[in-house]
Amino acid sequence: MSMVYINIFLAFILSLMGMLVYRSHLMSSLLCLEGMMLSLFVMMSVTILNNHLTLASMMPIVLLVFAACEAALGLSLLVMVSNTYGTDYVQNLNLLQC
Amino acid sequence: MNMFSSCMITALVILTLPIIMSSTKLYKNKLYPYYVKTATSYAFMISMIPTMMFIYSGQETIISNWHWMTIQTMKLSMSFKLDYFSMIFVPVALFVTWSIMEFSMWYMHSDPYINRFFKYLLLFLITMMVLVTANNMFQLFIGWEGVGIMSFLLIGWWYGRTDANTAALQAVLYNRIGDVGFIMTMAWFLLNLNTWDLQQIFITTNDNFNLPLLGLLLAATGKSAQFGLHPWLPSAMEGPTPVSALLHSSTMVVAGVFLLIRFHPLMEHNQTIQTLTLCLGAITTLFTAICALTQNDIKKIVAFSTSSQLGLMMVTIGINQPYLAFLHICTHAFFKAMLFMCSGSVIHSLNDEQDIRKMGGLFKVLPFTTTSLIIGSLALTGMPFLTGFYSKDLIIESANTSNTNAWALLITLVATSLTAAYSTRIMFFALLGQPRFSPMILINENNPLLINSIKRLLIGSVFAGYIISHSITPTTIPQMTMPHYLKMTALAVTTLGFILALELNLTTQGLKFNYPSNYFKFSSLLGYYPTIMHRLTPKTSLTISQKSASMLLDSIWLENTLPKSISYFQMKSSTLISNQKGLIKLYFLSFMLTMILSLLILNYHG
Repeated sequence: MSMVYINIFLAFILSLMGMLVYRSHLMSSLLCLEGMMLSLFVMMSVTILNNHLTLASMMPIVLLVFAACEAALGLSLLVMVSNTYGTDYVQNLNLLQC
Repeated sequence: MNMFSSCMITALVILTLPIIMSSTKLYKNKLYPYYVKTATSYAFMISMIPTMMFIYSGQETIISNWHWMTIQTMKLSMSFKLDYFSMIFVPVALFVTWSIMEFSMWYMHSDPYINRFFKYLLLFLITMMVLVTANNMFQLFIGWEGVGIMSFLLIGWWYGRTDANTAALQAVLYNRIGDVGFIMTMAWFLLNLNTWDLQQIFITTNDNFNLPLLGLLLAATGKSAQFGLHPWLPSAMEGPTPVSALLHSSTMVVAGVFLLIRFHPLMEHNQTIQTLTLCLGAITTLFTAICALTQNDIKKIVAFSTSSQLGLMMVTIGINQPYLAFLHICTHAFFKAMLFMCSGSVIHSLNDEQDIRKMGGLFKVLPFTTTSLIIGSLALTGMPFLTGFYSKDLIIESANTSNTNAWALLITLVATSLTAAYSTRIMFFALLGQPRFSPMILINENNPLLINSIKRLLIGSVFAGYIISHSITPTTIPQMTMPHYLKMTALAVTTLGFILALELNLTTQGLKFNYPSNYFKFSSLLGYYPTIMHRLTPKTSLTISQKSASMLLDSIWLENTLPKSISYFQMKSSTLISNQKGLIKLYFLSFMLTMILSLLILNYHG
């Protein structure tokens, strides 16, 4: 595989690690999710452009749309948690009713 | 040239003099009520002269004064018809009003606006005279509306009280519904007979008078509180007792019956309208007599009694006896006004207590009032040779011997016995037994204003029937021969009513009052009629508008169908099927560990 792909793939792995391993803030997980989406977008665009897969050119746009939706959803969940507790500490996500 | 028309016009003008003087200093004088009363008594005495002339020689007059306008082919003028009906009614009405004015000088003497009260009473009397002596329908309508307006002003005399305002409004609205019928009749006469004069109406022939007579029947239903438009009459007892005595017993409520009597040449040939009148009057008299049995307010019982007697007058018109109905109007005025004045005396003496369950033992304390109350009740029930006998017994006899609707006749007889029953109830609760009122009241009926007014009506209640029925010209021939059981019917059912009511009252006097039965609830809630009519219709329209506009369109379709249903469903299903504990970091870490392990272990392929 050429260097570009490995680079971008590494960026993806890094963001994935960042999303799976975090300490207290939920926001950092969401930020790493955005990073994953960004690296996927770049890899997809580079592959399509290099191999002249013209008909697949719409796929990065579609990916962006769904990424935006999912970011909004994640943010709304964050806002709900933050409304209840004041912060977005992940230790608050328990089943306590208060 | 005799003095017939001059005396009558003089009498009517004397009545208007205190109204004209109301813009001068006389109106603010403390003696204004006395002035009004004296004017009424002079008008009565002067109006007796034409009446005697009429009785002696049968002379009738039509006075056409002033040509107002001519609308294309119809001429409207101010004309007074002084015939049998108006000549006998005017002195009776003036006599009763004279006594009531003297009574209200005692009853309302502590009222700061007593001058205005007397002016209103006098205005009412003038409009009633206009109604009675009208020769064309336009003048009759002026009088008709005039008595309606004065009734509104007088019922709402104590306007600070919400119930009085509601009752006045109720009276005006129910009368208005009747006025629709009156206007329809006027329009029909205008279109078909080109006139509003009574003479021309009676001589032009037409094959079918159903529509105008139906309009007149509707007008009479509204004004005379027949069944269907009757709730305003018991509510009108919110006004002062003189108002109840004058308007709602003797004069205003008989205006509807008087209208039908005036049009009797049209009604004698129309069998349909007669049957309708008969059935309407029979239903009214029975229904209101049933409602009167369980009322506890003494004025309401007398109001229902008035309503029942009005139904009886309608029954009389329905069996084609307009002259008997007119005789009953005249005799009824005496004892009904006296009954109201006696109840006013009782109410005032007991410091404004109107509930008969809180009266009692007045037999020894108010002897004169007791006497007149008992005589008035006996006259009402048709005791032989008192006033009521001469009209009521004749009515029952004619109804018994005529070819009429048997059901209407039967319920009229039942209503007659119920008349005796509720009269006994009034007398038993208010007069007999031990006192149930507070003993800290000074009871004194020694005021000459009170005593003289009731005394005049008392003499009238005893003798007027005899005097009137032996002085008038013979009109329709009363039935002379009938079997003895038919002759005794009225007396028998009345005696039955008296005995039953007295027995029941005496037996149940000391018993505890149980939970009311269904019949009791029917009677004391006035047959549920006001509840249904006044409450159910507005509630229905408000409920329909709320359900369709607010709930159906807004809440359901716009709000709930898509957005809220989706979110609700999602929430319910997610809480149902999720049994996670939200340990996100653990899940993420285990995911990462699994990935790394799988990449490391499964690296060796090949």
